[in-house]
Amino acid sequence: MDSIELKNRVKKVTAEVLELEESDIQDGANFASDLGASSLQSIRLVAGFEEEFDIEMDEDKALQIQTVSDAVTFINSYLK
Amino acid sequence: MDNKRKDHPLVNTTEPNLLEETFNYDLPPLIKFDGPIVEYIDGKPVQFDPKSVLTKDIFITDTTFRDGQQARPPYSIEQMVKIYDMLARLGGPNGVIRQTEFFLYTKNDREALDQCRALGHKYPECTGWIRANKGDFRLVKEAGLKETGMLTSCSDFHIFKKMKFKNRQECLDAYCEVVAASFEAGIRPRCHLEDLTRADIDGFVLPFVERLMKMSEQVPEELSVKIRLCDTMGFGISYPGAELPRSIPKLIYKLNQECGVPGSRLEWHGHNDFHKVHVNGGTAWLYGCDAVNTTLFGVGERTGNPPLEGAVIEYISLKGDLCGIDTSMITEIARYMISIGMPIPENYPFVGKHFNTTRAGIHAGGLRQDEQIYNIFDTTKLLGRPPRVAITDKSGVDGIAIWVNEYFGLSGEDRISKIKVHKVAQWVMDQYEKDGRLSTITDEELEAKVKELMPDYYSKYKKSFQSV
Repeated sequence: MDSIELKNRVKKVTAEVLELEESDIQDGANFASDLGASSLQSIRLVAGFEEEFDIEMDEDKALQIQTVSDAVTFINSYLK
Repeated sequence: MDNKRKDHPLVNTTEPNLLEETFNYDLPPLIKFDGPIVEYIDGKPVQFDPKSVLTKDIFITDTTFRDGQQARPPYSIEQMVKIYDMLARLGGPNGVIRQTEFFLYTKNDREALDQCRALGHKYPECTGWIRANKGDFRLVKEAGLKETGMLTSCSDFHIFKKMKFKNRQECLDAYCEVVAASFEAGIRPRCHLEDLTRADIDGFVLPFVERLMKMSEQVPEELSVKIRLCDTMGFGISYPGAELPRSIPKLIYKLNQECGVPGSRLEWHGHNDFHKVHVNGGTAWLYGCDAVNTTLFGVGERTGNPPLEGAVIEYISLKGDLCGIDTSMITEIARYMISIGMPIPENYPFVGKHFNTTRAGIHAGGLRQDEQIYNIFDTTKLLGRPPRVAITDKSGVDGIAIWVNEYFGLSGEDRISKIKVHKVAQWVMDQYEKDGRLSTITDEELEAKVKELMPDYYSKYKKSFQSV
């Protein structure tokens, strides 16, 4: 999977969980402070990414991810 | 005035000090003493050594079938036999639960006693309970018992207003006549000093006990009088410096040291009218009274008695060892008692449905990281009761993850992460934020939601779930 497709799918999940428009999600956006994610929504994001990419992430490390671009990098490490 | 201020420099460390010498999670936290206790008695300092409980033969006695039964509908014979059997298993082979007592007045009383003894347990030993009445010894003798309690109430409330004696001498003589009859019948009398904490200690109690001790000199040791200190109205006080007749330390000292009653023949019996019953029992052990008389879950007259299971945990904390006690029986007995209709409050220590339930989400987070943070000791190992969370909108996903893992009985590496319970967590939040719910989510509701929203885990891990 190329990086653009990966990024778009991360943004798709983010938009679904946070009930936003994909076009409003910037690459460097912080899930909590910029996009308004609550603690429960952060967990739903991780679950959404796991389901979307069929991966199992380290819970503690996944929940430390703060931005969309960091999420892309982190998920990519599981796809290699 | 002496300056008592001291410097206390920070002891910096990168490793946590978890005080494991006291808080060994495999046992109830230890009660350790770092010096003697000093009580001023008759103006003079008297030292007590609390560390002596480590080696002394302190023990628990039970009055579930007597005081306990006076506060509830009568047990059936079958129930008494079952409870007796469980008490024996709880107390273990060393007789930590040393004795229990039975009424003897009805056919059912005697049948229950016979069936309990037929189980063949060495402990708890069966004793009787009768009125201070010469004729009642016949019942004790016919029952083949070696020891019986009998009421020898000692406050003027009882002597004059209840029993209508003309004076104290008449009362004392009447009691001693019954004690003599007990000796004659070859039965050890256990004199229950009812209402002791409201009695004239110097004017009646000590002269009476001295007379009992003198009488006991004439009989073999196994018949010597035992004394039960009855705090009938819950007036007893454990605080140092308290006055008689309420001071437990002073009462025990006077009987033990001034009257010469050995600790092995002193037994404390309390009531909970002022919320002091458990600590008062423990206090009795520390000051020279070897036995504490208790009932299961504290059920007894009015506000009840020292809770037996509380005394068991206290015993372990003082001794630093299980001493043969099977603590899992505490939970088994509680389940049985609930099944026969005894209500146990949900927040009751050690056995209530929610005694180790965490409700706050911030606490649940701590519990998830290390259950020792918010659990008093290894309740799973000692009581078969893993720590639980009650689910509300305050529980957080951590709380829900704990609930689900406990529901599935998962531990260690098998535990499901909080990521996997997000659908259940969202449903919980929606209950409060969208539907305006105010009440706690019940176990039954959560069970249904787990089945619906986590079907793969449900079918893989579901086993029977017991909330108490």
